[in-house]
Amino acid sequence: MEKDLKLGSGSLDRAGVLPLIAPSCTSQRKPLRWITALAVVAALFGTPSMQGQHAKPTEYEVKATYLYNFGKFVEWPPKDTHAESDSFPICVLGQDPFGSALNSILADATIDGKSVVAKRILTPQDGSNCRVLFISSSEETRLKQILVVLRGTSALTVSDLPQFTQRGGMVQFFLEGNRVRFDVNLTTAEQAGLTLSSELLKVASNVRRGPRLAD
Amino acid sequence: MQIDGMLTFRDYSIPRKLTWMNLLVSGTVLLLASSGFFAYDLYTFRKGTLRNLGIEAQIIGTNSISALLFDDPHSAENTLSALQSAPHVLFAEIYTPDGRAFAAYRRDRTGSFPPPPLIPAGQAQTYLFQSDQVALARWIAFQGRPVATIYIRSDLQAMHDREKSLAVIVGTVFLMSLLAAMWMSSVARRSIAEPIVRLAETARIVLSEKNYSVRASTTRERNEVSVLISTFNEMLAQIQERDAALGEAHNRLEQQVQERTAQLNTANADLEAFSYSVSHDLRAPLRHISAFSQMLSEEYGPKMDPIAQQHLNRIQNGVKNMGKLIEDLLKLAQIDRKRLVRVPTDLDALLKEVLTELEPEYASRRIDWRIGALPAVDCDPGLVKQVFANLISNALKYSRRRELAIVEVGQFEEDGTSVIFVRDNGAGFDEKYTSKLFAVFQRLHRAEDFEGTGVGLSTVQRIIRKHGGEIWAKGEVDNGASFFFALTTKRGNLLAAAQAAVSVR
Repeated sequence: MEKDLKLGSGSLDRAGVLPLIAPSCTSQRKPLRWITALAVVAALFGTPSMQGQHAKPTEYEVKATYLYNFGKFVEWPPKDTHAESDSFPICVLGQDPFGSALNSILADATIDGKSVVAKRILTPQDGSNCRVLFISSSEETRLKQILVVLRGTSALTVSDLPQFTQRGGMVQFFLEGNRVRFDVNLTTAEQAGLTLSSELLKVASNVRRGPRLAD
Repeated sequence: MQIDGMLTFRDYSIPRKLTWMNLLVSGTVLLLASSGFFAYDLYTFRKGTLRNLGIEAQIIGTNSISALLFDDPHSAENTLSALQSAPHVLFAEIYTPDGRAFAAYRRDRTGSFPPPPLIPAGQAQTYLFQSDQVALARWIAFQGRPVATIYIRSDLQAMHDREKSLAVIVGTVFLMSLLAAMWMSSVARRSIAEPIVRLAETARIVLSEKNYSVRASTTRERNEVSVLISTFNEMLAQIQERDAALGEAHNRLEQQVQERTAQLNTANADLEAFSYSVSHDLRAPLRHISAFSQMLSEEYGPKMDPIAQQHLNRIQNGVKNMGKLIEDLLKLAQIDRKRLVRVPTDLDALLKEVLTELEPEYASRRIDWRIGALPAVDCDPGLVKQVFANLISNALKYSRRRELAIVEVGQFEEDGTSVIFVRDNGAGFDEKYTSKLFAVFQRLHRAEDFEGTGVGLSTVQRIIRKHGGEIWAKGEVDNGASFFFALTTKRGNLLAAAQAAVSVR
């Protein structure tokens, strides 16, 4: 709870000038039941297609949603090859762990007026048009080569693979309890010309600068 | 000026009225203005409070979007904890669109709060004032889709503080304005009310002490009040002048009356003394004449020739008449000297006595007596008996040429006074000589026709007047005479009554 508030406090100061009168701290002490009850929160948010669905989503359903949500907080370089394209491809390289979840989540989804589509690719060369590229665990042995191939593109690389961010990836999923969290390597993203929104960095578990992707 | 009793506003004195009116008017105006100010300020403040709360909710929401999208309540709580710098916020909570609580902030770490107010469809936010708190709920949208509901609860401490300080300010202004109004009303009182109050006080003094020499103090101003005061003073001056003139005239009259009374008393006394002594002194020589003519008649009567005897008779008749005259004059003089003794008297009985005494005079005549009932009155019986004797003997005398003489005695009531009359059908008199009727020695008939001294009616009038009454007569030549008298009354009423009585007959 007691984390320091970089972004939050900055924006609130603007609102903070409004109250005129100093507060009187009349506290009503109530048992802690409320807080403990509140700590248990389900793990599915924001996706329109998921609204009203009360069954607990699976891990990969959550991850699929996140792939889509990343698109909302990343800026791609303007001079990009896929700038003219009117679709927003989210690609899966290697063995697909999502099953049907990715397609159903991305149905009707749009980002910046572009319709989001799911693509399965077999080689990194096919991923040059991808905005977000999920590298499946099946590709662990080829990871270094894949990243080298992708260096020229501006795809946001995401993976479940351990130490993905240390090995030159940009976003790495991991599980914290039954909650899906992620780390970010800001340097590699910048190398690819991507700008990650501070909002995204705020919710990342770990934001590391470097290592750079080896040449 | 009154103190006791229930005083309505209408009875208040003018200064008090002025003060009250001033206070009432300024109080009302102030109250209205202050309440307007108060209400407007609170309304504005409330609006501002809501606006700020909305902005705060929006900022929190916007900063929590990524936390919501990436299921990071921790991050959202971090964002929420920034509300510590807004101490009025008691509680804030973020809900997912499907209504689950996502992250919360509590100013005092604990406490449970009622659920958020329901946002009506089509609106971005709603609020609810609950006792001393305000609850606000707001949708947060991201890229056109709702991603969260922010629920913020704030205490109204600031509003209450504002109310308190406003109340103090308004109260102070109100009080000071009232004081100013009172001060101004005291100025108004000096210039308007006080002169009037002093005038009223002066009028009261004038009325209660009958003192017309006091004057109301004047003012330096020139207005209706000063005109009123100067007019009042002028009236007082006029009254005073008139009083003085009246007093002087009164004194002069008094003095004159006293002088005249003294003169009259002297004259009366002189006259009485004179007439008494004259009558008295006349008697002595008359007795000589009577005695010697008697002796002459007795001793030399047979020797005298018939002519001498006739002359002697004439002398003796003259002496007798003169004796009678002197006797009447003495009676008249006695009336003035005698004190009036009033006793309750039965006039019926008195009249009977008189008729009995006069019986020798009319015994041989035919007379129609018409005697009415007479009242009992307070009077001097001896004197009133003389009145009846005189009037009835007059009636008999002047009616003796009638074959059948009618003598009527009666009374009638007029204005609560009884009027008694004696009427005959005799020679009567000419009414143009009525004024001479009651004068001494005045006779309307020749002595050859009806003998008499001319003192009788004079005596009657004097007796009646001595009682405080009036006597008057009506008559016509050869058609009888009527004499009316009242022993105490107002003259005018009686005259009218008498005329009425006569015209009826």
